[in-house]
Amino acid sequence: MSYLLRKLVILVFTLWMAATLNFVLPRLVPGDPVSVMLAKYQGRLDPSAVDALKIAYGLNDLGSPVAQYFSYLGQLLRGDFGRSISLFPTPVADVIGQALPYTLGLVGITTILSFLLGSALGLYSGWRRGRPVADGLTPVALFLNSMPYFWFALLMLYIFAFKLRWFPLGGALDPFPGPNFSSGWWSSLLRHAVLPMFTILVTSVGGWLLTMRNNVVSVTSEDYLAFARAKGLTERRILSRYVLRNALLPSFTSFGMALGFVVGGSILTEIVFSYPGLGFYLYQAVVGLDYPLMQALFFIIALTVLAANFAVDLLNVLLDPRIREGRT
Amino acid sequence: MNGVRILLRQPRSLVGAGILLVLLLMGLLAPLITPYDPNSLEFGPFMPLSAQHPLGTTAIGQDIFAQLLYGARLTLLVGAVAGLIATILSVTLGLTAAYVGGWVDEAINALINVFLVLPGLPLVIIAAAFLRGGGVWPVILVISLTGWAWGARVLRAQAMALRERDFVQAAVASGEGPGRIIFMEILPNMTSLIAANFFGAALYAVLSEAGLSFIGVGDVSLVTWGTMLYWAQAKGALLQGAWWWVAMPGLGIALLGTSFALLNFAIDQLGNPRLGWGSVKSPRRKLAPTPPAAGNALLAVRDLDVGYVTPQGTVRAVRKVSLDVAPGEFVGLAGESGCGKSTLAFAATRLLNPPGEVLGGSVSLAGHDLLSLTPEALRQVRWKEFSVVFQASMNVLNPVLKIREQVYDAMQAHGITDPARLDARARELFALVGIQIRYLDSYPHQLSGGMKQRVVIAIALALEPKLIVMDEPTTALDVVVQRQILQEIAEVRRRLQISIVFITHDLSLLVEMSDRVAIMYAGELVEQAPAHDLYAHPAHPYTQQLMKAFPPMTGPRERRSGIPGRPPSLSETLPGCPFFERCAVRMPGTCDVKPLETFTVGEAHTVACFLYDPAVSPATKELALSHALNPVIAKEVQLESVPNSALH
Repeated sequence: MSYLLRKLVILVFTLWMAATLNFVLPRLVPGDPVSVMLAKYQGRLDPSAVDALKIAYGLNDLGSPVAQYFSYLGQLLRGDFGRSISLFPTPVADVIGQALPYTLGLVGITTILSFLLGSALGLYSGWRRGRPVADGLTPVALFLNSMPYFWFALLMLYIFAFKLRWFPLGGALDPFPGPNFSSGWWSSLLRHAVLPMFTILVTSVGGWLLTMRNNVVSVTSEDYLAFARAKGLTERRILSRYVLRNALLPSFTSFGMALGFVVGGSILTEIVFSYPGLGFYLYQAVVGLDYPLMQALFFIIALTVLAANFAVDLLNVLLDPRIREGRT
Repeated sequence: MNGVRILLRQPRSLVGAGILLVLLLMGLLAPLITPYDPNSLEFGPFMPLSAQHPLGTTAIGQDIFAQLLYGARLTLLVGAVAGLIATILSVTLGLTAAYVGGWVDEAINALINVFLVLPGLPLVIIAAAFLRGGGVWPVILVISLTGWAWGARVLRAQAMALRERDFVQAAVASGEGPGRIIFMEILPNMTSLIAANFFGAALYAVLSEAGLSFIGVGDVSLVTWGTMLYWAQAKGALLQGAWWWVAMPGLGIALLGTSFALLNFAIDQLGNPRLGWGSVKSPRRKLAPTPPAAGNALLAVRDLDVGYVTPQGTVRAVRKVSLDVAPGEFVGLAGESGCGKSTLAFAATRLLNPPGEVLGGSVSLAGHDLLSLTPEALRQVRWKEFSVVFQASMNVLNPVLKIREQVYDAMQAHGITDPARLDARARELFALVGIQIRYLDSYPHQLSGGMKQRVVIAIALALEPKLIVMDEPTTALDVVVQRQILQEIAEVRRRLQISIVFITHDLSLLVEMSDRVAIMYAGELVEQAPAHDLYAHPAHPYTQQLMKAFPPMTGPRERRSGIPGRPPSLSETLPGCPFFERCAVRMPGTCDVKPLETFTVGEAHTVACFLYDPAVSPATKELALSHALNPVIAKEVQLESVPNSALH
């Protein structure tokens, strides 16, 4: 499985890069982040929080930057992200543990839905090229793809939550939704998720549509498609066994790159809907100058995206016999 | 530039450029359009829409319309500059990786992979959070540094492909320096890709800037569409019902993004015409019903005209070609590359993809008028009556399906569904073309080129069609395999009494295998004759030249000569003979002015050459022959062909 091994190496390498960026960025800032924060909080900061901060940035550590770096990596491997400043003294890991399920649920499910819907529309648009609807989908997709996520989120919030009051204005659950996983709890969860999901769906579906359409168009000019036509296969057979199978493969490959973009947009969507996921806390961290939380969130987001990427690579192995054989 | 002119003819790039221009003018002419300063606080808060304030005012009394106009400036600046820096990074890193190669390439490629999967916006947010407060430049820098990877990947791949091309190799061999090669040879061939990449990066930059401003990192004291949204959100614009404060800047961003995306797509399409937006289905022709084919021909092509419709005009690749194939006959179709022989085969079997189009004529096969069949009727005729073996059979098999399925589905599509029968037939076919049965359960990439070709021939025989069209079926194979496969084809054909149209540029092969040979030149069928007749008495000067170009199996060794000159461009309309320019025995005043005609010179032997035109005076012919540029040809025409034509 040299293919998966290579992907795994890239994954680890990328994670390491993310961790290193996390380490280097605060040290690039003129002055140090702690004094910036002290200035901002103007003495209102708990002294133990100041200590925690200094530990987080290795400012209490008089060792060389190299030694600091390795102790930082060691902490990271133990899952020790330090303590949050804005939510002091909650450990950063706890905040992430709370937020992660919401983001995974919201962004994960929506991304899969969006991928399926976008690919289906892209398949139609590419296969029925020349028909008004099929060709009309492309400029629409381009426009949807160019909309700022948070802007569309604001409009949805305004129309459906504020004006029409069909959906709640924000949050993930009602204040008293009932016991966890009860029917009341589920319906509350769902009602809160509808608008954020719809937003992410609409703003990300265009990208998948365009990718799939392009893939279908290139598959259409492949020799094996002409051969399938020449064989007199039915349209349905050509579409399912020849076009779809082959057009999906590059879609999967570009999934990873697109995923990073979708996750970025979802973060902004969470902010608009005060949805208590990673993005919402990232915003809180940025506003509250909570650097430890910010960096941990970035690391976790990167980790999640990379893990999803790897899952897609596994799927690729199942779908493409060439990769299975170790040829890429 | 040619590319720009083509772009301006496409509605989509026009719309993209139009939107961009309007937004640009909005920013540039802001002081002329609105009297207000975007930052002055002179009005009341949350004023409604009015003639004086078309978009009302903000929470602190700024004119929103003025902000929208002035906001275009910085938004466009961020998009353009960040797009430019990211593109420069992409080009530099992509080209360096491709040109230098080795560990430098490995390192850059690893870096590209890392930045491709690192989620961009969170990274930008973190980075900008650390660099905040410094105006617009840190934002531009951070966006550029995270937005280059995709472009670098595409450009690296393209540059690597270009580096292998002949003209770059030639430049390297002639000792040109790396700078010169990169800037003079490689870069000019990547302009459209780089331009497309720029618009893609600019789109990313505009969206990122908006996101950053919206959450308040970056400098919110500046007026951009992103910071407008930030303030609208911070001041509760929607709660106040001032939805336009949110709607307009976001719409601006979305439109700017759309224009970038449209331009990106349109330019991308220049370099990769396959991504075209146009129709893919060739329209069914509505012609008068074809008259029944003369005699007992199985395939009758009549006056077939085929062209490629491009923005630069129509290339007429096949010009009024007529060709008959009798049942059981092996017809060879020969000519140089680009003479239209493959186009003829594709058009006659209705497999031509746009931009190729049948412009006129008819094709009848076993009583079916092929060009006017409905799609379903055509589907049923295909493979049952005729099958096709393609030129590039390396890529003819679907890479993700097992061979077995690809052998089966041809039969299943025509009503054979019994698994036992399918399996038995597949085994039979594989035995027929000499492949081991176990390869039925392989994937195409596990087979060698020769085996794939046999598989394709086996599939072509599956339903025992009356006709098989073979387009250079063995060109990509080595000589030994080629010979084996040709022998198998010949044997199978004799056994099953199948007609074959065999297309190749290898005339010696055809003369050996065919019953009849047809020669094409520049879209015209210039000569048709029984194989032995063509070999013994080639009539057309072009055929004679072709014969000279390959050595005979027996006889003394001689110097071989090529044919000087090139075929005419197929986009031209030629008044006379297309071979005129290269012909050693041309007759100025006749060949270059008279519309080409075909003359019969022997039993089933026709030729499109005025040397055989009884209407042309013998004196003119004599003159042409005596002026012949190549004495060998002159002799041959004189001795063999002219008396022959004189008989008719």
